[in-house]
Amino acid sequence: MRITVDSTVCEAHGQCGVVDMDLFPLDDDGYSAVGPDAEVPAGEEDTALLGIAACPVRALRVL
Amino acid sequence: MTADLLTPSASADPYALFATLRAEDPVHWSDAHRAWLLTRYDDVSAAFQNKAFSNDRVRPVLARRQASGEPTAADRVLGLLSGWMVVNDPPVHTRLRKLAAGAFKGQRIAAMGEQISAIVDEHLDAFLAGSGPQDLVSEVAYPLPATVIATMLGAPAGDRDRFRDWSDELALVAFGTGGAARAERHERALRGLQEMDAYFRELVARRRAEPGEDMLSALMAREDEDRLTDDELVAMCALLLFAGHETTTNSIANATLALLRHPEQLARLRADPELLAPAVEELLRFDGPIKVLNRWVVADTVLGGRTIRAGQRVHLVLASANRDPAKFADPDVLDLARSPNPHIAFGKGIHACIGAQLARMETRVAVGRIVERLPGLSLEQEPVWKDALASRSMETLVVRHS
Repeated sequence: MRITVDSTVCEAHGQCGVVDMDLFPLDDDGYSAVGPDAEVPAGEEDTALLGIAACPVRALRVL
Repeated sequence: MTADLLTPSASADPYALFATLRAEDPVHWSDAHRAWLLTRYDDVSAAFQNKAFSNDRVRPVLARRQASGEPTAADRVLGLLSGWMVVNDPPVHTRLRKLAAGAFKGQRIAAMGEQISAIVDEHLDAFLAGSGPQDLVSEVAYPLPATVIATMLGAPAGDRDRFRDWSDELALVAFGTGGAARAERHERALRGLQEMDAYFRELVARRRAEPGEDMLSALMAREDEDRLTDDELVAMCALLLFAGHETTTNSIANATLALLRHPEQLARLRADPELLAPAVEELLRFDGPIKVLNRWVVADTVLGGRTIRAGQRVHLVLASANRDPAKFADPDVLDLARSPNPHIAFGKGIHACIGAQLARMETRVAVGRIVERLPGLSLEQEPVWKDALASRSMETLVVRHS
C-alpha cells in the first residue's frame, strides 16, 4: 500500500500523527511530512487507513 | 469593552459573546482575565504554530515560588507537572511525545473498544436501575473516564475512586488560583497529590518488574535507545488522568445535552447509527470540552494590529474558533453529518491531543450506547454550568429516562 498527502490541503491538524507518528510524521509546524508517495510497511495497512480517516480535511489518501 | 468569560451568563452560554468578539475585536485584551483572547479560527490556528507563543508555562511559576521562599513538599508536585509534555516546547516536548506516542497508537486504542464498551454498559446499567430525575454527570459522564484511565493503567478496580479525587486536585492545581481561599485550597490539593505521586511510583515499580498489556507497560518501551524515566512515567500517569478525565466527562455530557436540545438530530442519529463518527466530531465542534487553551508569550508579536508583549498570556478560544462563520457554514447549526469538519477541539499541530483517538472512542461508545439504550431520555431541568475558564463543563445535567 502506498499513501500520499496533498500539501495544499493539509492544515496541520496533526490528527494522523495521533494515530501513528511513524506512519504519519509531522514537520516542525505540525504539517504532514508523509510526502507525495510513501510506502506503508506490510501489516500496517489498517493503521494507515485509520490515520487517513482521522484527517478532518481529507488531505491524505491511498495511492 | 472588556470581555469576561466567567460571568454566570457567559458560563451558561458563551457563544454570543464569542460572536461579538470575533466580529468586533478578534484580538482582544481582557482586563478581567489579564490576557489576550484570540477568537477567530485563523488566528487561533496560526497561534498553534507561532514560536512566540510558548507552552512552557509551569516552570516560570515554579521558579517564582522557589525564589519567594523555602521550597515546600508541594513544590515537588509542581516540579512533576512542569515536566508534562503539554507544558513544554521542543525539543523537550518532541522527545516526550515520541516516547509516549507508541502507547496511544490507533491500533492499540482500537483494540480497547470492547473493554471500553463494557465499562460504559456497567455505568449505564446502574443509571437505568435508577428512576426519576438523575444527574447524568455524576452517574455516568464523570465516573466513566476515571474508570477507563484506571483500567488502562492496570490499576485495581478498587482504586477507581482515588483516581477521581486526584483528578479533581490536579484540575485545581493546574487551573491556578485567585484569592486567599482558593490559594489555600490550592495548597491542600498539592498536598493531596503527594499521595498520587506515591501511588503512581508504586504502580510504575510493579510494571517495571512485571510488564503487562496495559498502557503503562507500553509507555515503558524503548525508542532509539531512549526511554521514559520513572519520574517521567509518574508524570505521564498524572497527565493522562488530568488531560483525559474532565475533558472526556465534558465531551460526553455536552454531547448528550446538545442532542437533547436538538431532537431532530437525535432522531437522525438513532435512525442511522453509521452517523456516529461524524456526529461525535460535530458535537465536539458545536460544544466541545475545552473553551480556552493558554500560551505564554516569549517574544513581542503583532497580531491584527495589536502588539502582544513578551511575558503576557494569550488565551486561544477554541470554542469560539469552532463557531467561526469564516470557517464553518452556519456555525451555530448542529449538523451531525457535517463534512469536512476541521474543528480544533483537540488543538492542532505538534501539541494536538495525543489522546484524541481514545477520547473519540470513549465519546463514540458512550454517546452511541446512550442513544441506543435510553430511548426515552429527556432533559429534566436546565443544566448548571461551572464558572470555569478553561473548560466547558457542567456541574449537573439532570435528566430522566422512561
